[in-house]
Amino acid sequence: MRAMFRAVLHSQWKWSRLIVVLGTVAAFAIPLLSLQGAARADRGALQAPELLRAVQSWGTLYPLLATALGLLMAIAAWAPDHRGRHIHALTLPLARWRYVLLRFGAGFVLLAAPIAGVLIGSSLAVLAATLPPGLQAYPIALAMRFAFAVSVAYAVFFAVSAGTARTAGIILAVIAALILVQVVASMANLNLDLFGAAQTALLLGPGPLAVFAGRWMLVDV
Amino acid sequence: MNDAIHIERLHYRAGKNFAIKELDLHVPTGAIYGFLGPNGSGKTTTIRLILGLLRPLSGRITVLGLPMPEQHARILGQIGYVPEQPHLDTTLTVRELIDFQAAFYPRWDRARAAELIKRFELDGEHLFGRLSKGQKAKLMILLALSQCGDLLVLDEPTDGLDPVVRRDILSALITYVSERGATIFISSHLVHELERVCDWIAVMDDGRLITEAPMEKLKHGTKRLVVMGAPAEIVNPPFRVLTRESANGGGAGENWVVGDWEPGMTSYFEGVGASVREVIDLDLEEGFVELLRSFREGRSRR
Repeated sequence: MRAMFRAVLHSQWKWSRLIVVLGTVAAFAIPLLSLQGAARADRGALQAPELLRAVQSWGTLYPLLATALGLLMAIAAWAPDHRGRHIHALTLPLARWRYVLLRFGAGFVLLAAPIAGVLIGSSLAVLAATLPPGLQAYPIALAMRFAFAVSVAYAVFFAVSAGTARTAGIILAVIAALILVQVVASMANLNLDLFGAAQTALLLGPGPLAVFAGRWMLVDV
Repeated sequence: MNDAIHIERLHYRAGKNFAIKELDLHVPTGAIYGFLGPNGSGKTTTIRLILGLLRPLSGRITVLGLPMPEQHARILGQIGYVPEQPHLDTTLTVRELIDFQAAFYPRWDRARAAELIKRFELDGEHLFGRLSKGQKAKLMILLALSQCGDLLVLDEPTDGLDPVVRRDILSALITYVSERGATIFISSHLVHELERVCDWIAVMDDGRLITEAPMEKLKHGTKRLVVMGAPAEIVNPPFRVLTRESANGGGAGENWVVGDWEPGMTSYFEGVGASVREVIDLDLEEGFVELLRSFREGRSRR
C-alpha cells in the first residue's frame, strides 16, 4: 500500500506542483505582508487600531487562498482520470474506495506545503515585528485555522470533482432551482430568503463552512 | 473449472438501442482466443463486463475461477489489459508510467519491462502524450505483459497500426504466451490478424454470440459448396447451412455456404437426390462474412 501511495503521490505532485508552489509562496507571503510597515518598533499603543485594520484586511485573503487551493487541488487530483474516462483507475487491482482514498490522501499531503507556508510566514512575521502593547500574535492558531479551511475546501471540491457530469448537472440544477424559487418569491412579495437561510446554515457556527467566515487575525487583542 | 473466462446467460443493456443478450462464452485456459465482430457489435462492452467495469443485469461471469465483479480487485491483479483507446496519463513519462504500474502489481517483472523497453525502442523520458500511436500501443502492451498476469485482455490492440508495429506486438504476445502459458483474449475486426495467432474464435454481432469454436474447426468446417439439384427443403443436415443462393441465375445449381462441414458429408446430398459439384475452402474472413450475413438474414426474417 505504501508503494501505491508513493506512486499516486508522485503522479499527483506532477500534475499540481505549480499550484502547490504558488500556493505555498502566497501562504508564506500573506502574513509577512500583513505586518509589514504596520508594526515597527517606533510605533506606540495608538497605532494598534491601524495595525488591526491592516491585519484584518489582509486576513480576507486566507479563506480565499484556502478555497482556491482546495478547488484547484481537487480538480488536479481527478483531471487525468477524467481524461482517461477512469479506465486506468478502474482496472487497477485494488478496491475502488482504496484508490479514492489514495488520491484524497495524496492531495492532503501536498496541501501540507501551503499550510506550513502560513505557519512559517506567520511565525517569521511575528518575530520580525514589534507589536503595540495589548496586542497578541496567534501564528499557530492562524495556521491551524488555515489547515482546517483548506481541508474542508479540498474535501468538498474533491467530492464534487469525483462525480460524473451528471452529478455536476444535478448540483447546478439544484442551485438554479433555488435561484428560480427566490426570484419567484421576490416577485410575489413573499417573505422568503433562501440565500440568507443557506448562508446562516452553512457559514454560521456550527455550519460546515463556518471556518471560512469571521475575522482571520494574525494579531489581535 | 478449466476456463479462464466463463460467462453464462449474461444480460446487459446500454440505453434503448443496445443490449447483450443471453451471452455464453467459454475461454479455455491457455488459449489465444480471438473475439471477432464488426464495429458496434458489443466486443468492447463484453470486455468491460469481463473486467468488472460494467455491471450485468443478470448472468454470471467467472474469471480465473473467481466471480466478477464481486472479486474484481483480486482478478484484476492477474489480468493485463490493453484498452481500445490509450487511457494512460498523458503528462507522465514512459518511465513514470512503468513505475506507477509496478507499484500496483505484486508480480511485476522489472526485467521483462526493461527488455521490452529495449525491444520496442521506447525512450523512458518521453511523455506518454507525445508518443506516436504505435509507441503508445507498444507501451500499453509492455505494461500488460510486465504485470505477469495469467490472462491478457486486449481490445483491438493493433487497430490502426502499421504492419511493422503490429508484427512487433504480436511477436511479443506470442513470446509471452509460450513462456508463461497465459491465456489471451483478443478482440479485433482484423480477421487476418486473428487467423495467424488464435486457436479459438468467437464471432459476435448485435450483442449476440454467433459462434464460438476452435480455429481449426471454424476454418476447415466452413465451406462453399456448388450443389446441383438440391430440393427446396432439406431435413436434418449434419452441417449448418449458413447461406443458400442460386448460382448464375440457377442454371449452374446453387451456392451454399455451410458450417461444421466434415469430409464425407457429400454423401448426405446423394441421399436427398442432389450432388455436390465442388467443395471450396473459405478463409476465416470469408467465413466470418458469411456467418454475419447468415445471422443478419435470419434476424431480419424473424
